[in-house]
Amino acid sequence: MDKTLLIPVFLPLIAGFVLLFLPNKIKFLSRALTLIISGLVLALAIRIFTLGQADYAFPILEIGGLKLDLLLSAKPLGSFILMFACGFGLLITLYSLKSQAGNTFFGCVLLTIGGSAGILLSNHLLFLLIFWEVVTVSLYLLITTGGKGCNFAATKSFAMIGASDAAFLLGILMVWSVSGTFVISEISMATTSAIPIIAFLLLMLAAITKAGALPLHTWLPTSGEYAPASVMALLPAAIDKFLGIYLLIIIVRKMFVIESAVLSIILAAIGAATIIIAVMIAMVQHNLKKLLSYHAISQVGYMILGIATGTPVGIAGGIFHMLNNAIYKCCLFLCGGAVEEAAGTAELDRLGGLGKKMSITFTACLIAALSISGIPPLNGFVSKWMIYQGVIQMGAEQTNGAAALWPIWLTCAVFGSALTLASFVKLIHSIFLSRLPDELKDVKEVSLLQTTPMVVLALLCVFFGIFYHVPLKLFIYPALNIEPGTAIFGTWDSVLATALIILGVVLGLLILLVGLLSRKVRTVPTWYCGEVQDNEAMRIPGTHFYKTVSSMGGLKQLYTGQEKGHFDLYNQSGKCGLALTNFLRWLHSGLLPMYLTWVILGLLVILLIVCRIW
Amino acid sequence: MTEVLQNLFWILIFPGFLFTACFGLIACWIVRKVSALVQWRVGPPFYQPFVDVIKLMGKEILVPQQAQRTVFLTAPLVGLAGLLLLSTMLWRITIEPTVPFVGDVIVAIYLMALPSLALILGSSASASPHAAVGTSREMKLVMSYELPLVMAFIVVIIKSGGQLSLATLAQQTPALSISGMLAFLVSLLCIQAKLGFVPFDIAEAETELGSGVLMEYSGALLAVWKLIQAMMLVAMPLFLVIMFLGGFGTSGMSLVWGICKYVLILVLMILIKNTNPRVRIDQAMKFFWIYCGIVLAVAILLATIGDCYGINWL
Repeated sequence: MDKTLLIPVFLPLIAGFVLLFLPNKIKFLSRALTLIISGLVLALAIRIFTLGQADYAFPILEIGGLKLDLLLSAKPLGSFILMFACGFGLLITLYSLKSQAGNTFFGCVLLTIGGSAGILLSNHLLFLLIFWEVVTVSLYLLITTGGKGCNFAATKSFAMIGASDAAFLLGILMVWSVSGTFVISEISMATTSAIPIIAFLLLMLAAITKAGALPLHTWLPTSGEYAPASVMALLPAAIDKFLGIYLLIIIVRKMFVIESAVLSIILAAIGAATIIIAVMIAMVQHNLKKLLSYHAISQVGYMILGIATGTPVGIAGGIFHMLNNAIYKCCLFLCGGAVEEAAGTAELDRLGGLGKKMSITFTACLIAALSISGIPPLNGFVSKWMIYQGVIQMGAEQTNGAAALWPIWLTCAVFGSALTLASFVKLIHSIFLSRLPDELKDVKEVSLLQTTPMVVLALLCVFFGIFYHVPLKLFIYPALNIEPGTAIFGTWDSVLATALIILGVVLGLLILLVGLLSRKVRTVPTWYCGEVQDNEAMRIPGTHFYKTVSSMGGLKQLYTGQEKGHFDLYNQSGKCGLALTNFLRWLHSGLLPMYLTWVILGLLVILLIVCRIW
Repeated sequence: MTEVLQNLFWILIFPGFLFTACFGLIACWIVRKVSALVQWRVGPPFYQPFVDVIKLMGKEILVPQQAQRTVFLTAPLVGLAGLLLLSTMLWRITIEPTVPFVGDVIVAIYLMALPSLALILGSSASASPHAAVGTSREMKLVMSYELPLVMAFIVVIIKSGGQLSLATLAQQTPALSISGMLAFLVSLLCIQAKLGFVPFDIAEAETELGSGVLMEYSGALLAVWKLIQAMMLVAMPLFLVIMFLGGFGTSGMSLVWGICKYVLILVLMILIKNTNPRVRIDQAMKFFWIYCGIVLAVAILLATIGDCYGINWL
C-alpha cells in the first residue's frame, strides 16, 4: 500500500478542475499554481520511478461479478513514461508562462498531467478508460483556446477520438466477458477465437487513434492548423503518443498473446502505411504547423512497426522512438510556435531568412529537424536503426506472414526517413535560410522563457543520440524485461563516431584557416547573373520544392483527392450521416397516404417473416 | 592513449583523410582523362586536380550579404567530416575485417546522405535564387535515388541471411546471382546520381543554373567541396565493391582484384557519364521510382524465392 501513488494523479486533477472555474483576471495565481504543481508532480514521478514496484488498492464497489477497485500500481514501463510526461508538462508550462493563455489553458495542462498519470499507473481497465476520457476532454478544451476556426478543429478531434474511445469501451467489455476481470495484470488472452480478436482490434483502434496513426488520423492536422503550438507540443506531439503507444504495448505484450499472423500483418501494415502516406502528404504542405502535424502522424508509424516486429530490438526501438519523437517533435512545435509568434504567420511562403534574426530558435529547430530525419549521431537515428534491425531480425527468424513481407516494411521505413529529410529541408529552407522578406525586417528572438524549453529539448536530442546506451539501460530495457546487451545486434559506436566527426570538422576548419590566411573574406551582394531585381522577386520559398512529386502522374489524383478530403473518414462519415438524414427527411413528408403505405408494407414484411411463407 | 593516437592516425592519414583525398584526386584525374579520350581530346596531366584544389585555396572567400553565415561556412566542413567518417569506416573494415569499427551497413547508408545534406543546407543558406532551385533539385534527387538504393540494400541483406556487419557482407558476392546483378546495376546508377555525374548533374546544371548548389561558394570553401567530391569518388564505388562484389582484398592477388573491381565501377560510371545527356528532374524521379523500383521489386522477389528454396543463382 503506497499512498504516494495517489498524489500525482489526484492533486493535478483537483487543482486543474478548480483552475477551470477561476476568473481569467487571477493570472498570477493560476500560473504559479500550475508551475508549482507540475514541478511537484515531476519530483514525485522521479521518486516513484526510483522506488520501483509499488501498489495501491482502494475498493470502491462490488456488484456481482463487477468489481470496481481503484488499483494503482507503478510498473517500470508506466513510471518511466510518467516521468517524461510530467517533464513535458513542466516545460510547456514554462513556455506558456508569458503567453496570453487564460486559466482554461493552465487548468487543462494540469488535467492532462493528472489524467495521464492515472492512465500510466492504473491497473484497472475501467479506471484507465475514465482517465483516458479526462485527457480527451482536456485536449478538446485546450484546442478551443486557439484562434479562429479552433472550435471546428476541437469538435473534429473530440468526435474522432471519442469514437475510438467508444471502441475502447466495447473492447474492454468484450475482454471482461471473456476473462471475467478488469485487472490488467490478470488478463492474458489467446487470440484464437473471434471475440478476443475483435476485442484486440477495438483496443488497438483506440490506441492508434490516440497516437494518431492511420486510418483515424485526420484530427491531428486539423487541430495542428488551428490550435496553439504549445497545445500541439504538449498533447499530440508528446503525451498522446505516450498514452497511445503505452496502451498498444500493454495490449500486445500483456493482455493478449498474438498468435494469428493476420493481426501482426495488420499492425505492421498500419505502421508502414502510416509512415509513407503521412510523410508524402507532409511534403506538400504550405502551413508550418500542419506540416509538423503530418510528421507527428508519420512518426507513429515507426513506433507501431517496431512493436509489430515482435523482436526485442524492434519493440525496444519502438518505445525508444516514442520517447525520442516526443522530445524532437515537442521541440519542433515549440520552435514553430516561436516563429509564428515572432513573424505573425505560419504560412511557409511568407517566411524566410529568420536564421539570422532568431539564432537560438534556429539552432534548436535544426537539431530537432535533423533528429527527426534520422541523421547520425542524433537520437532519431538510433531508434530508427533499432527498428530496422527489428524488421530484419523478424525476417530472418520468424516464419509467419508478417515476417515474409519484411522487405516491404523495411523499404517503407527507410524510404520514409528520406522523405522526412526532404520535408524538413523544405521547412528549414523556407523559414530560416532562403531570403528575408521585406515585411519581416524587424523580427526579434522570442523571450528566454520560451527558448529555454527548446534548448533543453534540443540538448536532450543530442545527449540521447550520442549516449544512447544510457536511456536504453535506465528506462527501456527494464520496462520490457530485456537483458541489456542482448537485443541490439548491429554496430553503432556513437561516441567514437561523434568524436571522429568533430575531428573531421576541426580538420576542415584547418583547411579553411589556410584559405583565410592567404586571402581575406569579402562580403558581396548575391550574384543574379547580371539581372538586377528587388528582394521580393529573388525570394524562392520552399513551398514549391516538391511540385514535381505532387504533379507526377498517378500521385496527382491522389493528392487532389486528399486535398479535397476524400480520404478523410471524418468527412466521409459526415457525408453518410447527411445522406441518412436526407433519406429520413424524405420519408417524413407529412402525407397520411404515404405513412399508411409504409405501415402496410411493414406489416406485410412482418407477416412474411412470422408465417415463413417461403 | 595509444587508442586515441591510433584513431587519429586512421582518420587523418591512413586510410582517412590524406589517403582518401589523394586517391580521390587521382580518381578525379582518371575521370577527366578518360572523358577527354572519349571526346578525342588529350586531357589534363595527373596532377591537375591537385593543382586545382591548391589554387582554389589561395583565392578569396566571398560570402553573400544575405547569407546565413554560420550555416554557409560550416556546411562544407560537416560534409567533409561525414564523408571522412564513412570512408574511414569502409577502409577499416577492408583492412581489418575482424574488428568492428563505428557502424554497420545501415549506419553507412545514413552517413552517405550526410554530404548531400550538407550541400543542400549550405546552398540554401547562400540566399541565392539559383542556389535555391539547385537545393530543391538536389533534395529531389536524393529522395529519388534513396528508394532504389534501399531496395538494393534489402537484396543484399536477403542474400546474407539478415547480417548487418559490413565485414560479413564483404565476404559474399551477391553480384554473381540474377537478383544481385540487377541490384548492383541499379545501385551503380544511384551512385552516379549521388556523385552528381551526367545524366544526373541536375542540381549543378552549369548551363542553366550556373552550377546551382555551388554557385555562391568560392576560394577555400569551394576547395573543400571539390575535395568532398573527389573523396566521394573513392567512398561510393568502394561501398558498392563491399556490398556487391565481394570486397576489397588487402594482400597479393586479392588487392589487384580489388583494384580491378574499383576500376571497373569507375570506368562504367565514366562511360555512362560520357554517353548520356542530362535528364530533367521529373524524368530522373520517374526513372528511379518507377523503372528502378520495378526492377528491384523483381530482384527482391527472386532473392526471396532463392533464399526459400536454396537456389543461390537466383
